[in-house]
Amino acid sequence: MSHPLEPRIAAYIATQMPQATDVAVRDLARISGGASRETYRFTASWTQDGQARERKLILRRDPPASLIDTERRIEFEAYRAFHGTSVPAPEMLWLEEGDGPLDHPFFIAAEIAGFQAGPGLLWAEPYLDTHARLGERKWTILGEIAKADPVANGLAQVMPAVAAEDCWNRELTYWEDVLDADEAEPLPIIRAAIRWLRANPPPPAQKVGVVHGDYRTGNFLYDTEGQIHGILDWEMAHLGDPLEDLGWSLNPIWSFGRGLAGGLLPQDQAVAIWERASGLAADPAALHWWTLFNCVKGQAIWVSSARAWLDGGNREPIMVYPAWAMTNAQDRAALQVMGRL
Amino acid sequence: MIPSVPAVLVDLAGKVMANAMPDANPTDRAATLGLSAMLMGLAAEAWDGAAHNLVMENRAIRGLLARGAAYVPPPEERAEDDFRLSALAAENARLRAALITLQIAVEGRDGAMNEAIWAELRASTERRKQQGSAV
Repeated sequence: MSHPLEPRIAAYIATQMPQATDVAVRDLARISGGASRETYRFTASWTQDGQARERKLILRRDPPASLIDTERRIEFEAYRAFHGTSVPAPEMLWLEEGDGPLDHPFFIAAEIAGFQAGPGLLWAEPYLDTHARLGERKWTILGEIAKADPVANGLAQVMPAVAAEDCWNRELTYWEDVLDADEAEPLPIIRAAIRWLRANPPPPAQKVGVVHGDYRTGNFLYDTEGQIHGILDWEMAHLGDPLEDLGWSLNPIWSFGRGLAGGLLPQDQAVAIWERASGLAADPAALHWWTLFNCVKGQAIWVSSARAWLDGGNREPIMVYPAWAMTNAQDRAALQVMGRL
Repeated sequence: MIPSVPAVLVDLAGKVMANAMPDANPTDRAATLGLSAMLMGLAAEAWDGAAHNLVMENRAIRGLLARGAAYVPPPEERAEDDFRLSALAAENARLRAALITLQIAVEGRDGAMNEAIWAELRASTERRKQQGSAV
């Protein structure tokens, strides 16, 4: 049974590939997860220069309402900036910002096929012996992102600028505003964390770099050898303090109950790898600030997920899952970072 | 739990019905039913203890608010005579908002009171902790 989106995607691709004929789409399948965008994999086939061709592709489409409001062009350009560099990222093909072709804006990218992204598989064979190598790669690549020059790779032209001394306040204010707008119940632990963060600001960023914004176990494609083949989910990418990304990767919510950074490595090892790869220093006090900040950010995202469901903008079950499964764990993560758990 | 369990279950019931139709797309059906099953598991886990936890938490917070009356007048007392989860959760939200106000007032002024609030906040996360919690 074909999916109703298949002929519409094919029609769109045909407009982007005037040299192709007989464009068709098959095997469209939604990839689970993806609360901020609907993600599908599919195979496109066409005829060109008399030869039949096909390619595995990914569609990322905006949902009616999301748990995070992001600028899809920035996400598209972030992927494009890193594709072909030491930071593995899929090739971007087309960005459509209008609602006409598929009801909501979307982009289409090449699929990096044959690898896993879900973190659940990592805690069983054949992946148990790969954690050290995977952790080494994970925080090395994050260091490479931190090292990247946003002027040279063009992202400074599409991402809003921020001064080194303003990075922390811009991010904290943004996510506090999200909480103010979206929370459906009082959050005393997170509000206390915000008060502490404002009273104890971090030093200015060592550099203003590219921040992925959601760099965690679960947002990269891995194999059974501990290699990483693609960094995904750049929808929250922005310019800022590279320690922000390191702090998000160390948010205890991403330890998956294993007591290790990202479920993979002791925290000090992860930080040492990142420092080596980035050439930057992770001042412990500053990193503590950014790790606690990311507990606030995480809670704001889970709260927004509930809000999108409550307001009726998006009644998909994926919007309920973070609110139900993550809210208390995120509170506990904040307590842990504050030394109160 | 927000959104509330009854509201989510009503919505899931509709989705299960829709996905029982023979013309439902198989991949959409798999994604929807898989997530629906996970949510039903979370709802089942919370079911038995939900009212008990809210009553315990509300009583603990009322005690803290009374103890901190010198800093912030406690909110109006309400009879604890409605044990529907929606009523208990609404009261919990009212009390937790007051607790935030009290904690702001005592931070830097009354270390013992502040620590008592933190102890209750820690206890509340223990009450609400789920099996398989990431933290």
